[in-house]
Amino acid sequence: MVMSVRDWSIRFSEASDRDQTIGAMSRYFTCTYLWDMGPVKVIVEMIDGKVYRINTEPQPLDAYDFALRASPATWREFARPIPAPMYHGIWAASFRRDLKIEGNTLALMQNLRNFTVQFELLRKVGVPV
Amino acid sequence: MAKFSPVIGRYVTIDVDGCEYKVFYLRNGQGQPLVCQHTAGCHNHQWRGLLEDPEITKNYDVIAYDLARHGKSDPPLNKEWWKEEYTLTADHYIKFITTFCDALELDRPIFMGSSFGGNVALHLALHHADRFKAVIPVEAAENSPGFYLDLWRHPHVNAAQVCASGTWDLMAPQSPDMDRWLTWHYYTQGSEVFKGDLYFYSIDHDLRGKLGDIDTKKCPVVMMTGTYDFLTPPEATEATARQIPGGIYIEMEDIGHFPMSENYPLFAVYLKEALRIIEERT
Repeated sequence: MVMSVRDWSIRFSEASDRDQTIGAMSRYFTCTYLWDMGPVKVIVEMIDGKVYRINTEPQPLDAYDFALRASPATWREFARPIPAPMYHGIWAASFRRDLKIEGNTLALMQNLRNFTVQFELLRKVGVPV
Repeated sequence: MAKFSPVIGRYVTIDVDGCEYKVFYLRNGQGQPLVCQHTAGCHNHQWRGLLEDPEITKNYDVIAYDLARHGKSDPPLNKEWWKEEYTLTADHYIKFITTFCDALELDRPIFMGSSFGGNVALHLALHHADRFKAVIPVEAAENSPGFYLDLWRHPHVNAAQVCASGTWDLMAPQSPDMDRWLTWHYYTQGSEVFKGDLYFYSIDHDLRGKLGDIDTKKCPVVMMTGTYDFLTPPEATEATARQIPGGIYIEMEDIGHFPMSENYPLFAVYLKEALRIIEERT
């Protein structure tokens, strides 16, 4: 059974805020991004390494710096404990699968170390699709 | 009791296209020379596991150098290199390797490189088959577009972190955390040259239509690629090897683009098979 996006947002926030690797270099990890999973979309707002807010019902004019868009099947692959080849990260999936990275990619690069660690938390937390 | 490694580091000065390079290399072993090239934006410490593997070094003289501008090999000492953008060309890269091998008076070494080192191994087999006993292109293909990006050294980002985390996905999730983070650490150290290296990797390296000219009777080619490599995925390497008459392809399961540093014990299994094939054919 797929978890609700509300439950997911709580689990993801807790996992991120507790993560020691992010915590080791969390200051200035500040950005806002959209994860588009098809039927489910979330906007995650990070401030100084902590999840400030997760918007689970984004509206058309809600702002973000950059977006990751892929099919629900791809997001489910991201969330496997050991993802299959080409689903093991945003670079791999954007080069070889259906992941699209859009928006201000400079903001993504400015936060790439922590964002990469945070993205891999999906392997523990799962996805709401 | 202090614990010393058998690996020795040394410098040699060479001239390549009028550039004076003081080249640092690590060396251990005896017998057949095995010259190793690190990946783009990195340095020879990626080969630390191989350099200390007694099963290899009992029969192979392992030599891992830092390409100019990487690790402990400085940019050219006789040029104002800071006044022009660094872009590595295939021609200069090939000359660097052959000049370095000549300086060490190596007799038909085996050349092994990974990523942009694997790609240049194909050039060596094509243009210098008489000088190398064999080549082992690791994580290579006939061309590898898409990675020559401005973001690698954009002044508004932390280039060290971008280069290190931008290559993180090239490793397999199964590889040990310690080795993946060490590889990440190495990648924080070469961010100013990474983009220039990738000029060769994604722009100047293009052997499409030329692979049929490689003479594997003179210089066997054994290509190896990990299943988690998204830049030159297994199918790209296999397609490349198939176009080389007598070319061999070995797929490495559950490993990525930096096999020698992200999971050496697993890489060693495949490497020993490659060396066995080369011994059989030469």
